[in-house]
Amino acid sequence: MRRSIALCRRGLRSYCTDAGDGFQSSKLKIFDRHLKRVQRDRAAWLMKPKDSLVDTVAENLLDRLEDCKRTFPTALCMGGSLEAIRRLLRGRGGIEKLLMMDTSCDMVKLCKDAEQQTPNDNIETSYIIGDEEYLPVKENSVDLVISCLGLHWTNDLPGAMIQCRLALKSDGLFLAAILGGETLKELRIACTVAQMEREGGISPRLSPLAQVRDAGNLLTRAGFTLPGVDVDEYTVRYSSALELIEHLRAMGETNALLQRSKVLKKDTALATAAIYESMFGAEDGTIPATFQIIYMTGWREHHSQQKAKKRGSATVSFQDLQKQFGSSGGC
Amino acid sequence: MVRFGRILLKDGAVGINKKLLEYLVCPLSKQPLRFCEKTNSLISDSIGVSYPIVDGVPRLVPTDGKIIETDDALISGGDLPKT
Repeated sequence: MRRSIALCRRGLRSYCTDAGDGFQSSKLKIFDRHLKRVQRDRAAWLMKPKDSLVDTVAENLLDRLEDCKRTFPTALCMGGSLEAIRRLLRGRGGIEKLLMMDTSCDMVKLCKDAEQQTPNDNIETSYIIGDEEYLPVKENSVDLVISCLGLHWTNDLPGAMIQCRLALKSDGLFLAAILGGETLKELRIACTVAQMEREGGISPRLSPLAQVRDAGNLLTRAGFTLPGVDVDEYTVRYSSALELIEHLRAMGETNALLQRSKVLKKDTALATAAIYESMFGAEDGTIPATFQIIYMTGWREHHSQQKAKKRGSATVSFQDLQKQFGSSGGC
Repeated sequence: MVRFGRILLKDGAVGINKKLLEYLVCPLSKQPLRFCEKTNSLISDSIGVSYPIVDGVPRLVPTDGKIIETDDALISGGDLPKT
């Protein structure tokens, strides 16, 4: 009752969680989620029908479904490269019902249009506009959650992963690909050097990203069982630094830090491009950019999954094992 | 004929797949949502917020939601002194 009257007093203003509901204000905000939404709108317009980097990551992620014996009738696909996931699914994982979620309305519209052109056979696809940080999916309702290159923009990554785990049914699978800390290290260096040179100081131009060692901790902290993490590094070659920026824009991966500097001087931008090319440029005139992708897999707990036994429950001593097998060579 | 066509069109644009609704909850309170045909929106009764549906796609981002200021809310507000 008290809550409803408090809401009434605020009037017809749109419901904003930043307005200090107590529990939200204590959280650290790093990324501007609204800006990211706008950037993803732009990405939907700029996106090429096929992006080799995004397609490779999506393919690699979906490949993991083939390693699972079970099927996943209901799947939630969220954020990042939605369209690539839907296009490359090709009946993997036995998905019958697919929920596609993104924060950007235009991105969802793009997926919807693409689906009408090339429909997935036997998959009932529905669309939701939602935020990964506030997952609007019922508990215990989906068998699979896929997030391809989207979760690294959440302010509260463990929180978002916990919500994913809750949305999963028992023995459901969580599959995610995020950008790792080594991503765009060349650009990071070039930006810093150029800013030092031209402006005499630095401002954050690239967002902080999770390190590989954090990924395992994240999965365990979010309560997933049988966590698995692996890393892949891709080097993409561009003909100029400006082309790299164009590509980042088309992927919706441009800077969305809250504490970003809102001006970029032309001078500094050109200096960055020049430094990039002189420091990292290859002999053939192309420039490389590193993308580190961290793949995470985790399951929601189920009694059929293998578990470590309790401490002290061993019945055979390691010394006996060594006596039995140690003498006959081995390792 | 024309009228019939219009009804069909309207059904396409308004509303939401009932099966999809089974999977959705309010992103803030995680409570079930109610579909309101009159305003073509999903309503979270527990916190009194309505989320619009555009082209059959529900917009469940907290910042897209609108706080409902209706008679219901006023009635519940009027109850406050008693509780």
